[in-house]
Amino acid sequence: MANEAKEWIPPSWTYNPSTWPPRLPIVGLALVGFGIAGYLTAYQLGFIATVWEPIFGRGSEIILTSWVSHVLPVPDAALGAAGYLLDAITGVVGGRGRWRAMPWIVILFGLAVGPLGAVSILLAIAQPVLFDAWCTLCLASAVVSLAMIGPAMDVLLASSNTSSARRPGGSRGGASSGASPVRTSITSSRREGRPRPRPAQRGGDAR
Amino acid sequence: MWTQIVATCLGAWLMAASAVLAYGPPAATNDRIVGPMALSFAFVALKKVTRGVRRLNLPLGVWLVAAPWVLGYGATVAIVNSAVVGALLIACALARGRVVQPYGGGWAVLLPGRDVDEAVRHGPGASGAAR
Repeated sequence: MANEAKEWIPPSWTYNPSTWPPRLPIVGLALVGFGIAGYLTAYQLGFIATVWEPIFGRGSEIILTSWVSHVLPVPDAALGAAGYLLDAITGVVGGRGRWRAMPWIVILFGLAVGPLGAVSILLAIAQPVLFDAWCTLCLASAVVSLAMIGPAMDVLLASSNTSSARRPGGSRGGASSGASPVRTSITSSRREGRPRPRPAQRGGDAR
Repeated sequence: MWTQIVATCLGAWLMAASAVLAYGPPAATNDRIVGPMALSFAFVALKKVTRGVRRLNLPLGVWLVAAPWVLGYGATVAIVNSAVVGALLIACALARGRVVQPYGGGWAVLLPGRDVDEAVRHGPGASGAAR
């Protein structure tokens, strides 16, 4: 079993990025974000009359009814909720080897996490600059989406290496690329105890 | 890593500074734009695999040092705050911290013309990612 676990470690890495211990907290964060965004959506759609705002007085009200929040046909919090749900689903799908076995799910996961964080930052800037108001739960949601980015990116990096290596050798342009599709492809490496190339020591360990 | 914790706090401070130190625009507006960006970049750079994101805070720090003159800040407290926070942010953006593994060549494998084999062999020192 130990050998099997070792085999899921990407070439030149020291750990497997798709084990459950690092993944579950991301899924948990996504569900927390989904809860917050869902609550804010309920307020924006008028299902609840008031919104919880412990710090900034009427801040949440001003932000959540501003023109920015209704630029699109659906309230912005609803989009956030959908994004968090996509994060949670694509975070759960697949086993411990998913960075290699289903790279496109992982890349979808990364694409869901990244822009959600970027939009959150933009909205956090817009709050004080455009409206001179802050919204506690919106900021909490922004922190949640930011906190997911770092932990989500290592598995995206592992899968990016895999999927790019699986393209036909010529498309990567390099003269020596002929060898890589075989080594990192799913089928060949899953069965054989594939040799992992060691990187040049000075590159990784110095500094 | 602690440098990125410091930079995260600097970003959060910028968001609150105009209210705490009681200065108005243009300094307040600038700090409320730069603050969340600096905070986010530093926060993401806490993880080793995305440590390279810390470099995005370098131009932000330089801008904070230059902004009082470019935008013509009035209040002395806003000028000093911007310059000090900017200088600290530059320092935090330059400090790399320990990144002990090359991550298969890092993010550079996504660039056109980069070959995975080559990236793995040379490590992040050559590829410039995950630093």
